[in-house]
Amino acid sequence: MLEIDDLHVTVDGKEILKGITLSIPAGQVHAVMGPNGSGKSTLSYTLAGREGYQVTRGRILYRGEDLTALAPEERAAKGVFLALQYPVEIPGVVTLTFLKTALNAQRRAQGLPEFDALRTLKLVREKAATLRIGEDMLRRPLNAGFSGGEKKRMEILQMALFEPKLAILDETDSGLDIDALKLVAEGVNMLRSPDRAMLVITHYQRLLSYIVPDRVHVLAGGRIVKSGGADLALELEKSGYEGVEAA
Amino acid sequence: MTAHPFKLDSQPNMFREDFSRHSAELPGAGLAWLDARRRAAMDAFDRTGVPTRRVEAWKYTDLANALESDLVPASRFEGEIAFDDAFGARGGAQLLLADGFLHSATGTDGMELVDLAALGSQTPAWVEEHLGRMAAGAAQPLGAASLGLMRGGVALRVHGTRSLHLHFARSAGAQDSVSHGRVLIVVEDGASLRLTETHTGGGASESLVNLGIELVLKENAKLEHIRIQSETARTLHVTSLGASLARDAEYRALYAAMGARLSRMDVNLNLAAPGAHATLHNVAVLSAGIADVTTVMDHAAPHTTSRQLFKSVVGGCGRSVNQGRVTVRKGANKADSHQLFKALLLSPRAEVDAKPELEIFADDVVCGHGTAIGALDADALFYLRARGIPENEAKGLLIRAFLADAIEDFGDETLRDALGKRLDDALDVVERVAP
Repeated sequence: MLEIDDLHVTVDGKEILKGITLSIPAGQVHAVMGPNGSGKSTLSYTLAGREGYQVTRGRILYRGEDLTALAPEERAAKGVFLALQYPVEIPGVVTLTFLKTALNAQRRAQGLPEFDALRTLKLVREKAATLRIGEDMLRRPLNAGFSGGEKKRMEILQMALFEPKLAILDETDSGLDIDALKLVAEGVNMLRSPDRAMLVITHYQRLLSYIVPDRVHVLAGGRIVKSGGADLALELEKSGYEGVEAA
Repeated sequence: MTAHPFKLDSQPNMFREDFSRHSAELPGAGLAWLDARRRAAMDAFDRTGVPTRRVEAWKYTDLANALESDLVPASRFEGEIAFDDAFGARGGAQLLLADGFLHSATGTDGMELVDLAALGSQTPAWVEEHLGRMAAGAAQPLGAASLGLMRGGVALRVHGTRSLHLHFARSAGAQDSVSHGRVLIVVEDGASLRLTETHTGGGASESLVNLGIELVLKENAKLEHIRIQSETARTLHVTSLGASLARDAEYRALYAAMGARLSRMDVNLNLAAPGAHATLHNVAVLSAGIADVTTVMDHAAPHTTSRQLFKSVVGGCGRSVNQGRVTVRKGANKADSHQLFKALLLSPRAEVDAKPELEIFADDVVCGHGTAIGALDADALFYLRARGIPENEAKGLLIRAFLADAIEDFGDETLRDALGKRLDDALDVVERVAP
């Protein structure tokens, strides 16, 4: 599904990613763990196509196609989804309106007929119920005044709605208490499927107790310094990142 | 040779000339009270003439320089003119003013209505009491000229709960012209009025709309004022507005400026008694030209409150001028005032001048202001695009979201829809010309 090959990325003239190679087959969940400043967010923004993240070498193959020249909206329409660490508050845009606009923009780009308001509402309600997102949240401006947990659940709701082929979750656990974390992890686990790949980016092992990955990669200094199974996360929790970085 | 600081270089004083020649033919000439007020107004006007940038309050908006030709006073237009009724107010009164003259009126039952072009000895006492008391002094020089040279307009007195739509249209006259019109609205004790004021049109000839508005809010009166100004690029527009608020009166206003080569909204609100409250929102959407809103919020009594929000979306080579002075007079304790200036600049040539000013002569007051001017938020734009929304659509969504809180609490759904559509049209143009 996703093949990252010798990826070098520069931000503001500074090289942050220094040759990342990573492959996630369909149906698998991979975790990328790393300390602050290791390049975790740079990796997620680069995959989503944010401006200012300059790919200087290497390529990102998604279902056999090189993504690097595509705009964020083109990647989204092709099934790439990034759940942000800090979902942006947009006062003045009602959540439901935003969901409908985004859903139909993607459908348009995919050559599918748009959903009308009623159809969208029905679909959103159905997905929202499992994440315990109430009608009132959908009527409020997007993320404005939402708690940390509400914002993350809204990200997962979008993921459920857009049904991406590749989902990247950037520090989805940050700022969540244990109940909120469980709820979010439950939402993510429901979306695990044989034709979907997931990349879970996190600083802490905690999230990976609930979303158990197939593979764990350790990112340090812009490179993947170690890869292993789910137990690598537990190992890191004990020994910390220092031991790995030195290796 | 040094120029007198208030003397015009480029423009002969055509308004003074007009007054000298025609004062005896103006409506109501011979009414001693009106003659005196017109003379006083012209004296006040003469202190600046048509303002240049040397007049402090006009330093961002050079009206004298913008007037390219001599303008002749508009005369009454007798032909057919369409009423812009997209803004609802169905069941309410609809008044059409063409070139500053009252052209038609419907649904005014129960309101007292006086055509100011036909003032005579039968003029009601309330008109004599109020007409020309505000928006006619040296601080609002164009307002002074609009009284001194008033050719037409309306005076209205409102009881009970009413709605009123004033639509200002321009006839397609070929001549470069100026219209000096006045509107006086008296909202009686405990009465409530929703006022919609629309300005559209303007032809190929240059024209100056010079309008003076006086709003008198008696005790407990409520006035919601929604003003939409979207004239053509050959139009210069100055509205001078004066309002006085008696005890517990409330004025809530939304002004939207979307057109004209130059527009100036010169506002003076007098919170004259305890409990008076004013909310004033100004929205400017510009791709060219200048839209200037300059307000003076005068807290003249204790326990008066005011809230002002100025929002501009500027692209192309447009320029938005926002000046807000808040005065808290001696003894006006517990006055509470806030003003916020926010602007989105969508092109490198777009400009916003925001100038808050505070003059406080009382103790124990709360006065705040804030300013935020910038481009679209890059995080928000990326977020929307990462959800599949194409860049231009995402920008449009964010720009509309930026304006949302300025307009959401005004009018009814019909009006908000109509206003939303006008703003959409104006924003489409802004987006097309940006950067």
